[in-house]
Amino acid sequence: MNPSVPPSAAEYGGDEVSAIVLDPGFSSTRAGFAGEDTPKSLIPTYYGKYSFEDQDKIIFGDDVFVTPRPGLSIGNPMGRDGIVEDWDMAEKLWEYSFTSRLTGAKPGNPLHNGLNDVPDGELPTEMEGLETDEKPLADSPLLMSECSWNPTKAREKTIEIAMEKWGAPAFYLARNGVLAAFAAGKASALVIDIGASNISITPVHDGMVLKRGVQHSPLGGDYISSQVRALFKSNTPQPITITPHYLISSKTAVDAGQPPQAKYKTFPPDRTPDASYRSLLEERTLSEFKECVVQVWPGPTKLSAPGPNGVPNEEMARSSPGRPFEFPDGYNQVFGVDRYRVVESLFDAKAAIPDPDSLFPAPTQAQTVSELVKAALNGVDVDLRPHLLANVVVTGASSLLYGFTDRLNQELMQLYPGPRVRISAPGNTSERRFSSWIGGSILASLGTFHQMWISKKEFDEHGPNIVEKRCK
Amino acid sequence: MPPFKDEHVLIIAPGSQVTLAQLGLPESFTPARWRFPSRMFPSEKKGEYEPYKIHERRQEVKSANGSTAAKEQEDVEMKDQPPQEGTANADAPKTESTDETKPEAAENAGEEGKEGGENGQTVQEIFYEEDIASEEGAIWPMQKGRIVDWECFFALLTHVYNTLSPPFHTPIMLVAEPVWSLRDREAITQFVFEKFKTPAFCLMDSAAAVCYGYGVQTATVIDVGKDKVDVTAVTDFQVNEHGRGVALEGCGGDYMTDRLLELLGSKGFSREMCEQLKRSNITELLPAGTPLPGAAATARQNGPPAGSNTQLGGVENGQPKNANGTAENEEDEGVLDVAAIVSGNTSEFLAAREKDKGTKKGADAAKPVRLPNSKKEKATFQHQEFVKLEPEKDAPSGPSRFMRQTRDIEVSVERFLSATPMQKKGERLSSGLLEDIATQIHHTILAVPDATKRSDLWDSLIIVGNGSKVKGFTQALISTITQKFVLSPSGTIFTSEIPSNFSTPLPTGGTNTPVPGFPGQMHHPGSQGVNPLLVAATHSGNPMPPGTPSIDPLSHHRSTGHSQTPTSVRTVKPPEYFPEWKEQTATQQPPQNQPGLNGPGGPASGGGHRGMEEAVFLGAQVASKVVFVIDQGISKGFMSRVEYNENGPSAIHEYVM
Repeated sequence: MNPSVPPSAAEYGGDEVSAIVLDPGFSSTRAGFAGEDTPKSLIPTYYGKYSFEDQDKIIFGDDVFVTPRPGLSIGNPMGRDGIVEDWDMAEKLWEYSFTSRLTGAKPGNPLHNGLNDVPDGELPTEMEGLETDEKPLADSPLLMSECSWNPTKAREKTIEIAMEKWGAPAFYLARNGVLAAFAAGKASALVIDIGASNISITPVHDGMVLKRGVQHSPLGGDYISSQVRALFKSNTPQPITITPHYLISSKTAVDAGQPPQAKYKTFPPDRTPDASYRSLLEERTLSEFKECVVQVWPGPTKLSAPGPNGVPNEEMARSSPGRPFEFPDGYNQVFGVDRYRVVESLFDAKAAIPDPDSLFPAPTQAQTVSELVKAALNGVDVDLRPHLLANVVVTGASSLLYGFTDRLNQELMQLYPGPRVRISAPGNTSERRFSSWIGGSILASLGTFHQMWISKKEFDEHGPNIVEKRCK
Repeated sequence: MPPFKDEHVLIIAPGSQVTLAQLGLPESFTPARWRFPSRMFPSEKKGEYEPYKIHERRQEVKSANGSTAAKEQEDVEMKDQPPQEGTANADAPKTESTDETKPEAAENAGEEGKEGGENGQTVQEIFYEEDIASEEGAIWPMQKGRIVDWECFFALLTHVYNTLSPPFHTPIMLVAEPVWSLRDREAITQFVFEKFKTPAFCLMDSAAAVCYGYGVQTATVIDVGKDKVDVTAVTDFQVNEHGRGVALEGCGGDYMTDRLLELLGSKGFSREMCEQLKRSNITELLPAGTPLPGAAATARQNGPPAGSNTQLGGVENGQPKNANGTAENEEDEGVLDVAAIVSGNTSEFLAAREKDKGTKKGADAAKPVRLPNSKKEKATFQHQEFVKLEPEKDAPSGPSRFMRQTRDIEVSVERFLSATPMQKKGERLSSGLLEDIATQIHHTILAVPDATKRSDLWDSLIIVGNGSKVKGFTQALISTITQKFVLSPSGTIFTSEIPSNFSTPLPTGGTNTPVPGFPGQMHHPGSQGVNPLLVAATHSGNPMPPGTPSIDPLSHHRSTGHSQTPTSVRTVKPPEYFPEWKEQTATQQPPQNQPGLNGPGGPASGGGHRGMEEAVFLGAQVASKVVFVIDQGISKGFMSRVEYNENGPSAIHEYVM
């Protein structure tokens, strides 16, 4: 091609729009365009609230972790059971999740963005019927996920927000268990989701949730954090207090187990961030601790049980090398057998570290993962059980705990010695963390899914209750 | 599609302040040949924009002599300026190098005026004159990286494109700001394809571009801009969107100016003076904990800053400080004879002047010892400002002349405090510029899902952006990180058992020997003298505990346990194989004291930048070479026009680098 020859005038004439997939969770909210492999927008579901110069301000996004604000307090619109509690905030937060990185906050008026300039001698196209007040989702269909025990009211409220507040042209609400199964490439699966506030077991058959088998309990990542806190409290030689980074100005290296020598920061009392902020930031350190130190006892027997060769498992654990961890204030210590104990109660309720101040009541055996699986399978047809056991999908960020899937495998094999147990847990960290989003991304980009959408017209005709009929 | 050639590649890197652009890839990659201020002026006709401020002037045209009329489109002349002009000036004092374009351009306007007036009629006419220096009414379409005025932004792109006037078969590489949303990118894609009819387009993330420039695949890129900072973790050339610090407010170069203004405002400093002070070579960031020179030696940098320093900071300002004390001399120093510059060889003229000044100063120099800046309690910088001269009576419509006033201003230790927390507390509980950035880096790296990469990310920080030009920025930032975040390889080593399966570290070959004095090599104080084997042992993954059951390895993933980071922090060494960039990095030129970016959009003048701050442009060139010329689209590095016509703008996300 001669560089001085102008190109032909052929131009793109289509108007394909990709759907937005929104996967709200308790700890983080994921949003992105359908067809992509990871959600482009990942924000904490926690939001910050403070007032500055007599104005109430709300901040969303990661920024809350980086710069503290005067009198900042932290809230979360989701309830611990995964159901929205504060609808106003949920709406704002979800809207932020897709406007911040995907659609842009305020779409420029298309009349003035330079793309619609009419060349001389051409008649402008008719622009009537164009809404001047553009809604954030005016041109993208929206697929949202929900937990399997979401009540009808909450589902109706969700479609109302999507259709009326955001102006979505089409909407669908899918169960996150089903989506996680899709992400693993399965239409039938037993989905074990270890989230932040909840663990849930969802039996999925042919893309449908078997409602009677759905089980959930609060022993999620936040529960493990509370166990870690309990461990720190009873730690020897001295209890450990977590001082988040924002309260430290510099630290000095100290020997293991020695009291920290750090320079602390102080804020004037009227500007000190709220206790909820501190606890959120402590959670950051705890999640680092969970990533680096905490380990699940691999089994096959419980940590408290005697091992196969007569030596108690605890002794075995004690003999394995510990892992060091340094806290933001410079305090550091090696954690030996304790690093197994903090998660043992996910499988053995009796092993829970007691802490009277904890938010979480002491777990019961029925809340442990293995018992939940048992209850879930008891709730489904006998003929389906072997098939489900052969397709166990593990998802959720807390399932990334070191050694978790090994232990789960052992527990399931002991519970069901007969049928073949096969666990599928993606190796890729982000696939594990975002599997229900990824499933939604796959679903919404399928051509066959187009007939499933609830269109704006249908919503206007039938009202919000259409979601009960169409999204099962 | 025929292959793309080096000389046809068009690269544009828009920024909130400056838009860098270049047509063609040189044999060895150079800093951007064109620098446009990222602003446009609304023109007479609504919805259209002009690159320069246009003044309307009514006057009677009498004769050819002395009248002024400027054509409306003047960029033609600007284009004619040889791009290498700046490099020719390399030996001239750097403080002067960009300034001269202004008077010269003003002169150009004058010349045109002569041409325009030659018809010699006495009529009342309206003339439009371009005022190159004026910023009045300018629209800056990008703020903090965000595109706030699309119409104007597209006008800016069009202006850049038209100025460089590439041939039709030109692939375009556009460097995208991290803050642009996916929809923004689609809009830009659509505009580029439909307006410029480009055959191929690549939208590259600026952080990825920096990694290309440095030739590293995993790095933490810290881009310090005017009033925002972006912190990005790049692993294997992939930008990690999660946890990315996008357009962090109140962390850029403006923070330092504002802080200086806060410290010195009570002493009569204007914001412009603070800006110049920040750009001068006496402003420096000292590593955390370094005592300030002078009486404040015991005060730490983090301590209460302004209060104790007020008395000792005998700041002389407000009055031009005159070296020789006579008014005549001052006149001589201050006024720059524009005519002399324009007619003669500018660089020689300026060099001579500078030398002249230097000797004068040297004569009365009473300083017995030459201390490094960081030890001196007081230091002086040269403040320059341009004063428009009143037109003389006999030539009422001549080209506007500028007088440059230079004066020396002495500043005390405040100049070391530009990154300390603001006294006037805003709505953020900021702990100072560096600490905020350090916290963001910590957050960003911790959010990287691949935990094994985190240690590498800490060991490869890249600090770019013109906000980081302030002396000592990198070292001070690293020392802040070290103080707050780096883990101590402490007693844990001796209390824990050493796992037996760690690999023995390879002997370091000569190539791996750290370069002494390299700023990145800041070790934790506690790490000295600790056996590296022990460090490796304690921080390596632990062996599998006994009794691990064997399970189906295919459908099953076992995460490898990892340890905490960072154990060390380092910066990446800039590449050495681009001599043009290397030169700039090596020569520690005093940053230019030009007032803002008032200069006209035109060829870059070489001086002023110390090089790798604009590594994003080097990376864009490297990537263009790879994507357009070497790869020719085999690995889907760019979006072609055919693909655009088929799939529309949203397909750009599949190509975003």
